[in-house]
Amino acid sequence: MATITTVLTRRASGGRPHHKLDLDGTRDLRILKGPWAKGFAVFLAVLYVAMPGQVSDHTLRTLCYCGIYAIGAIGLNLLTGFTGQVSLGHAAFMGAGAYCTSWFGANQGWPFLAYVLAAIVAGLVIGGAIGPFAARLRGNYLAVVTIGLLFVAHHLFNNWKSVTGGGNGVTLGDAEIAIGPLDFRSLEVNGLEYTFPQSMFWLIWAFVALTALVAKNIVRSRPGRALQAIRDRDLSAEIIGVHPTRYKVAAFAIAGACASLAGVFYSLMQNYVNPNEFTGRTGLFLSITFVAMIIMGGVGTIYGSVLGALLVEYGRRFIADNGADAPILGWPVEQGWLSTGELNGVLFGGLIVFFLLVEPRGLAALWMRIRIWFQSWPFSY
Amino acid sequence: MKKQPWLRLLALLAALGLLVAACGGRSSDDDDDAGSGGGSETTEEGGGDDEPAGDPEPVPGFDGETIKLGVLTPTSGTVSIIGNPLTKGNEVYFEALNAQGGVAGKYKVELDIRDTAYTESTAIQEYNAGKDGVVMYTQILGTAIIKAVLSQMEQDGIAGAPATLDADWVHEPNLVPVGAPYQIQAINGLDWYVTEGGGEGKKVCTLAQDDPYGDAGQEGVDHAAEELGLDLGPRVDFAVGTQDFTTQINQLESQSCEAVVLVATPADAAGALGKAASVGYAPKWLMISPGYLKLLFVGGQLESYAVENVLVLSEGVNWGDTSVPGMAQMVEDLETYGDGQEPDPYFAFGYNQARAVHQVLEKAVELGDLSHEGILRAIEEVGTLTFDGLLSDYDYGDSPADRNPGRESTIFKVDPASPTGLTALGGPGYSSDAAKSFEFASK
Repeated sequence: MATITTVLTRRASGGRPHHKLDLDGTRDLRILKGPWAKGFAVFLAVLYVAMPGQVSDHTLRTLCYCGIYAIGAIGLNLLTGFTGQVSLGHAAFMGAGAYCTSWFGANQGWPFLAYVLAAIVAGLVIGGAIGPFAARLRGNYLAVVTIGLLFVAHHLFNNWKSVTGGGNGVTLGDAEIAIGPLDFRSLEVNGLEYTFPQSMFWLIWAFVALTALVAKNIVRSRPGRALQAIRDRDLSAEIIGVHPTRYKVAAFAIAGACASLAGVFYSLMQNYVNPNEFTGRTGLFLSITFVAMIIMGGVGTIYGSVLGALLVEYGRRFIADNGADAPILGWPVEQGWLSTGELNGVLFGGLIVFFLLVEPRGLAALWMRIRIWFQSWPFSY
Repeated sequence: MKKQPWLRLLALLAALGLLVAACGGRSSDDDDDAGSGGGSETTEEGGGDDEPAGDPEPVPGFDGETIKLGVLTPTSGTVSIIGNPLTKGNEVYFEALNAQGGVAGKYKVELDIRDTAYTESTAIQEYNAGKDGVVMYTQILGTAIIKAVLSQMEQDGIAGAPATLDADWVHEPNLVPVGAPYQIQAINGLDWYVTEGGGEGKKVCTLAQDDPYGDAGQEGVDHAAEELGLDLGPRVDFAVGTQDFTTQINQLESQSCEAVVLVATPADAAGALGKAASVGYAPKWLMISPGYLKLLFVGGQLESYAVENVLVLSEGVNWGDTSVPGMAQMVEDLETYGDGQEPDPYFAFGYNQARAVHQVLEKAVELGDLSHEGILRAIEEVGTLTFDGLLSDYDYGDSPADRNPGRESTIFKVDPASPTGLTALGGPGYSSDAAKSFEFASK
């Protein structure tokens, strides 16, 4: 301790240490590490508040879905990116959240925050139940177990008809979406009415920020360092006192809760829940989409999850809306070689391959390079 | 406590942002203005019986010259083999119509085609993405898809034509169904099989998708079993995209099913028949119309098995029978605008569906209102949809509750010599008493 104090108080003759010299780790623990980061946060806050007034409902809907996927991707990144556990059953957790909304929110008439809480608890419990498998399995074996969850969910959702509606699915109707005086189905502030996509944009992205903040606080604290120790070398982690099983179960539970929360908003946006969306082959594709999001965004970063969700979902929507008119990318559709849907599939696969080959650490790493370049300018390192 | 001045700045800027955002809201006055748009005004004008309505005002999906129609169909995935020819049928009909001037001789029609990939979640998102730019949907493919989007269509007051024959659509105000429903196909098919096809006393089972389309077929089977006193076996389910039908075929064989009503889309139907053929199981397959695709059943390994054992339950006449005026026109339009499209029952369905939507649009123009509300009103007042002999007429009555679809079906056998691979057995228009007794309850 005395040594650290000495270092902290040490001064070069006639000057102070460089402002980026961090000897006690406090700067590393900050969420916003400098004036640029704070300025960017302010910019995002203004964007968040102002955007619904400036863009179309169609764009807002797309951004709402981006936000929903971002919540799920943050959970998966905690599990995969920070803890090193593979999961291809993420869609099943999302289905649990969707059905909590349809049952508690639409059928039982629970208030919004109550059924959100129920969905989070359901995700925690189901995730926690899957977690122990992770203590005994790893890699491909664990992936297969989590795929199994999709098929168990397929059977459950299709046959528990009193709750899920079976193959016909269920319509949510007018499930309440209100927090206190703010009713997000028909938001009205100071005599001004806002559309459903405008209102949901504010609600969903507030939850994205909340989820990201919780996740960031987890990863920058002791449990987060334990998760990363397990990811990097679980045996070594155990030797230094980390309990791998406990942390793996916790990671699965938190990832399940995030996916379940995403399922709540997904069902509210869709106003309809069908078992086939979250299970079987469609569910597997949705789960793989989440994995793709964190790969393209950046494995092991919170903001990478958000970037990945924006890239995948907004890109998909761009192609779907523009088809043959999409600049350059729409050429195969214009030639009649591919349909718009097929082009989307090809680009999705191509992007995964591109990122894995060229930048496996995703968009987050690209951003990090740009940041470091500016930080060290005019020197190259 | 440590001061964080940037937090204060953040709060200040957020407050500024709120002011900016306030510009994006709508006051009640704005609402009133929006409500008095051209659509609702022209509706009132068109209400008079004595005076013709004026030209329709521009509304979402109609700019005063071009009418934009939506299409929600799978253009990717396994069911695109249905969606693509069906959409071609839509396109060919409207291209031929545009060449004659368009709706009412002056309004051209454009299609906004969106890929659903035959999944409910994608369909809902594509519906929401396109709904504000179309006057109505000329094609929504898939029973499960329609069930997913129907509640939103009702909320939005948007109409659409289902490219599926579920009986649930008959009384839906927002839908424009054509043709006899799946239930009628199954009932007539079983009646024909028992009375003319040598199936009396045979045990009948169902192999069906585990979704609402499968349920629709089963509903017809159940009704026929009750009316005809059939020896009814189990319903065996499968998921869309099943790769191996061993379990299902073994189950049907172990139950000694001698006839099987197959409720599937083409890829799954071919998979099931392929497995049955490979194990030597040969019941009489009564296939609901969406299961058939010439490409899969004619000219390949399945051909001889399909010729021997498969009946396709559908509606209409043999392809190329130009004694039927509608068929002569369709064949001519296909040659002119088909761009290489082969004769195909799904093409014919899409063509007929476009013909039905055209009749609704003509009525809407006559009423002077192409708004979403105007289209719904036109559907109510369209009277009877006619198809020049391609399908039986569909009586829309005075309200959705009065709609009464035809009860006729055509039983086809697989015939490699036919352009579509199908030839009618005993001619079109088979209608059973059991089908006539089926009631189309609104659900």
